[in-house]
Amino acid sequence: MQLVKKQTATQSQKLMVFVLTMALYGLATLFTELLPKFQVGFVEFSVEFFLFIPLTLAILFDPLSAALGAATGELVFSEIMLGQFGGLGELEKFLTVTIGVYIAGRMVRNPANRKMVCLASITGTAVQLLMGTIVDIMKVQFAVEDFEAVAGLPESVFATEGFAFLNDLLFSGILFCLLPTMFLVPRLYGKIEPLLGMRPRDEQTGLGGINIKVVIGAVIAFAVAAGAELLASSGTALIEWEADWAESGTALAVGLVTAAVVAVIALIALKYKAGKGEAEQI
Amino acid sequence: MKMKKKLSENILDKFSIDFLRTQVLKNAYGNDDTVIAALDPRILIVWYLFMGLVPWFVNNLWFLMACFILVLVTTKLARVAGLVLLLFVIGVFTQTGYLLVVSLFFGGNASTVVSLLILTLKVATCSLASITVFSGLDPDRLSNGLMWYGCPERLSFSISYAYRVLPMLMGEFQNILLSFRMRGNPPEHETFAGKVKYLFYQVKVIMHAFYPLMLNTAKRSRTTVEALEIKGYRYAAVNKAVKKMKFSTLKVTYNDLLFLAVSFLWISLSVLASTLA
Repeated sequence: MQLVKKQTATQSQKLMVFVLTMALYGLATLFTELLPKFQVGFVEFSVEFFLFIPLTLAILFDPLSAALGAATGELVFSEIMLGQFGGLGELEKFLTVTIGVYIAGRMVRNPANRKMVCLASITGTAVQLLMGTIVDIMKVQFAVEDFEAVAGLPESVFATEGFAFLNDLLFSGILFCLLPTMFLVPRLYGKIEPLLGMRPRDEQTGLGGINIKVVIGAVIAFAVAAGAELLASSGTALIEWEADWAESGTALAVGLVTAAVVAVIALIALKYKAGKGEAEQI
Repeated sequence: MKMKKKLSENILDKFSIDFLRTQVLKNAYGNDDTVIAALDPRILIVWYLFMGLVPWFVNNLWFLMACFILVLVTTKLARVAGLVLLLFVIGVFTQTGYLLVVSLFFGGNASTVVSLLILTLKVATCSLASITVFSGLDPDRLSNGLMWYGCPERLSFSISYAYRVLPMLMGEFQNILLSFRMRGNPPEHETFAGKVKYLFYQVKVIMHAFYPLMLNTAKRSRTTVEALEIKGYRYAAVNKAVKKMKFSTLKVTYNDLLFLAVSFLWISLSVLASTLA
């Protein structure tokens, strides 16, 4: 009976994990969106993370579904539902959360092994935070965000960002990611899996640890995330390139207005006619 | 002092989970009869792409002002729930408002105010446009529209599902918290040390509450997926005939085009004004 397939979850079970993570993490991020953030200088003490939810689920179930579910949940519940969708910049968050959770989930072969769970949850958090920090530093390096940080002092950027990273990792990372995950994983292990109709993960059914493929995938995804974020915030740098049409003469503007007026009048006329036609038919 | 206490009680009263739930429900399903909700989602998404992207690339005050007024009107038309607007105001303030305070503190002048005003207008326009589209539209119509543009089926499913399941989840979470409160023995919170202890106790309760919530949600998500499987969801998601049926409810009418044309007229008027000024 050693021919257990590496693929442990069926498609519908993967969908179940996706739905579960999405709903739970979405709910949690909705709360964090509403909670106040304490800011002391540039240090932010926020209860930013309910990351322990997807971490726990990724350790117990299929990591990729859990990771994608978490990122989608955050996007849908806290961005789209509250109307705070930021466009391209959201892609960065989506991908970094996915990578962090996925890596943590892949690291644990046996959820009963507490040491590994501990290591995985802090690694997942650290990876996610680190990627955010790198993107932030890159943004300043490329002078995209000119009003942040004092110009000509890259050291200060490194210092503040590094400090924020450490603060996040030690404060929210341990308090809100490591401890709850350590609390939840052993309790849920063996209990929650039957509810989704699958076997608990153990040494045999585990997906296997991190291999080179995972690392390469993560690096590519991170590059995309960084690119998207830089592109999203480089809007301010592109202004000069676009601004000249505004001064390119009144004639063009008059043309635009005329076209718009004609369009509005034509549409009103068409609508009126269509309404009349319908009335006659009745 | 009494007044202050009463005020804070009042705010806390309002900010319960029940309040959140009604606001979310109201936001999702309470404004089906508005002008915005009647528009075609595809047209609105195109409109959003314009209003969400273009202001970032323009620094002209006239143009930005016009965009801002336009999205302000559409947000009013969409009758967005109060909570969302409150979040919007807080969001804009935390992004740019505090910069104004800081810069004035360090001896800023009128030019700083203008440049900050431009930034604020950009931020506000983009978020109001997204509020109009994503809160003003019925979630099902929104997800259909996104799917038409080739967004993954998972995303549109998630949107419709999220709006339906969120009130239920919130209710459940509240029930669990209440039962914890009934059985629990919170530490005294008269002194400062007690208050800190109490805060940690609260955080712990919230963390612990996720344990039963996870188990319950696991059951629920299994039921959901099984119900989806019975209806052949995974095959339907990629089947062209099914998609065609789904999209047959989408229809571009004169109203949609009129909406685009009026927006266009308004924007072009602002361009005219900026060239004359």
